[in-house]
Amino acid sequence: MRIGTLKESYVADAALFDSRTQHAWLAIAAVLLVLFPFIASDYWLYLACLVAINVASATGLNILTGYTGLVSLGQAAFMGLGAYTVAILQTRYGTPMLLNLLAGGVVAMLGGIIVGIPSLRVKGLYLAIATIAASFIAHFLFANFEITGGTAGLSLAPARVLGMDLDTSFRLYWLIVPVTVLMLLGAANLFRTRIGRAFIAIRDRDISAEVLGIALLRYKLLSFGLSSFYAGIAGGLWAYFFRVVTPESFPLSMSIFFLAAIIVGGMGSILGGILGAVFMTMVPELLKLLVDLLPGGASLAVFLSPVRLVIFGALIIGFLVFEPLGLAEVWRRVRRFFHLWPFRN
Amino acid sequence: MDQQHFSHPRRNFMRGAAAAAGAAALTHPLSVLAQGAEEIVIGGSIPMTGVFAFAGVGINAGIQDYVKIINDAGGIKGRKVKYVPEDTGYKVDVSVATFKKITSQNKVNLYYGDSTGFSKTINPELERNGNILMAGASFASELNDPKKYPNQFLVGPDYTEMFSILLKHIAKEKPGAKVAFVYSDSEFGRDPIEKSEAEAKRLGLSVPIKIMTPAGSVDVSTEVIKLRRAAPDYTIFHGYILAPIPEFITQGKQQGMKSKWMGTFWTMDSSTVMKMGEAADGFMGVMPYRYYYDTEKAPMLEKIRAMRPEYQSTAYMQGFLAAMLFLESAKRCLDGNKPLTGANLKAALNSLKDFDTGGLIGVPITISGNSIPVGRVYQADVKAQKMVAASDWIKL
Repeated sequence: MRIGTLKESYVADAALFDSRTQHAWLAIAAVLLVLFPFIASDYWLYLACLVAINVASATGLNILTGYTGLVSLGQAAFMGLGAYTVAILQTRYGTPMLLNLLAGGVVAMLGGIIVGIPSLRVKGLYLAIATIAASFIAHFLFANFEITGGTAGLSLAPARVLGMDLDTSFRLYWLIVPVTVLMLLGAANLFRTRIGRAFIAIRDRDISAEVLGIALLRYKLLSFGLSSFYAGIAGGLWAYFFRVVTPESFPLSMSIFFLAAIIVGGMGSILGGILGAVFMTMVPELLKLLVDLLPGGASLAVFLSPVRLVIFGALIIGFLVFEPLGLAEVWRRVRRFFHLWPFRN
Repeated sequence: MDQQHFSHPRRNFMRGAAAAAGAAALTHPLSVLAQGAEEIVIGGSIPMTGVFAFAGVGINAGIQDYVKIINDAGGIKGRKVKYVPEDTGYKVDVSVATFKKITSQNKVNLYYGDSTGFSKTINPELERNGNILMAGASFASELNDPKKYPNQFLVGPDYTEMFSILLKHIAKEKPGAKVAFVYSDSEFGRDPIEKSEAEAKRLGLSVPIKIMTPAGSVDVSTEVIKLRRAAPDYTIFHGYILAPIPEFITQGKQQGMKSKWMGTFWTMDSSTVMKMGEAADGFMGVMPYRYYYDTEKAPMLEKIRAMRPEYQSTAYMQGFLAAMLFLESAKRCLDGNKPLTGANLKAALNSLKDFDTGGLIGVPITISGNSIPVGRVYQADVKAQKMVAASDWIKL
């Protein structure tokens, strides 16, 4: 049970993790993350990298939609901008990997700021429609220019670090997971600062925020820019991970995937972004594992595959019906239970 | 206030036990039931759901049936064949995950991939693995490159070769004809256009117009007007499955066009063409395989009809033939006492000269590179609801 958590300074009050138990859990999580690649098979490593990339992108979308309240369906387009930037720089100029990732983030950020301009006049679902335009514009750019390889796309050589090629999931893990962790910490910290609080104010009532002195133009564009920076870096990691980028790699359905991830995970919390991305990526695979455990083999696969998709959809709906605040709220309820144990409330 | 800092000892133990179980589960590479010691494994990333499900279900059945035929006859040199498919929904990241899962659970020798994107993405992994020969549902010209894709092959002609077969037929039927290309704005659609235009010129045909339609477009009235103005003798559609071809044909006929209408592989399944209704009459296209109901002498077709009394699509034929070529390559490898590596399997595949497919393809085939450049032009007979042969088997 957790009692007597008094704070004696503002610094202590604003800490992200304030109890010894949390620190212990974080240490265990860190150790597990470090040990994981050595004990997991290639399949689980692949999934871990994919989950990390999705977590990074979902966190970016959470900053924009969850914390600032600007619904965006352009996340995949910004990931595509980042991925293509990395691909072009890697194949044409052979520039170092980290530089490519940063460049990818910056290009996506610029794209995000441009797409975000309508947000000053248009709100809610109408803004979502406006951001769909980003997907189409991005697709047009990718498919119609020589530099982006046209409809065939681009193939990348693996990233090269210290003379070593990052061409297996094991090696890419050490790039993708630290970058994702850094981005998560950055996002968590963002909401302890003035800028983060301004975003939250805009989400709650943007007219009141403006009355309070928050420059809507600046902060909305900043939110778009930051969120697409995250998407750009995630897209760059995606490019290094799959090593093939085509215009069809970043469809509108991927934007919907991320929106679903943050809604199911819980909008407006970093943990929600993580849980949502993990849920959306892993549940279809886990359902496949469950189906595998049933006897029948190849002949049943044809019948059970659509059933699997139906169950996945039903799970999403089920979570939203029983916990509209998402998986993060479920997590918080479990935590509260342990904090209050042996009392009930 | 100890309880603030340290959890209850029982809770600690439970957490530790859970962590240990989790770690144990992860180290075990999912192979609960290890494959038999001497099995030949065909893995499959099959699109059983999603946009390509109509083909995926057929491909799955085709591979399954051929594997059953071989296993019932005693396997390949005494080794049983195991087919391990997984659904991918036609998404590349899921396909790659499926590949990794199946290859970590089994020692895979042969793999069927679901898309061009997957084939391109998995190529470096195939080279690193070195033990797998791969084919797939893709007929992309890019994959028809033995240097770049040494461990892969196409189960038929690539899209450029499909166009060449059609153009050869046109040049024979009507020398100097005008041929229009109508294609979709996607990698699939754009694939053969440039090279085919050059090929048409080489054969003495002219290409008065090339029309590219945006993906998923429904209203094609402006494009039909452009097409009518070009007044082609033949119009080849590519990059579509069904829509918007019926729209083009219906509106074109209404506006008095006299063009003959043609399509490529993915349009040419019997059920797809018949869905066009009246517009299907006279619709032609290239098909590398026989149709399920073909009455010409084909022992394999008869076996298929015995196993499956209802109509099987051309996707089924593709899967069936893929399995046939896979297992023939494996057999030749084992006959030569060579281990089943990617390079050996590919070499065995390339050693197929005048190979009899049991009538699935009407002529004996030779695979010298990555594709099988053979096909026949079929025409739709709406009254009989069947596709009938309109040419001989054309070999490039």
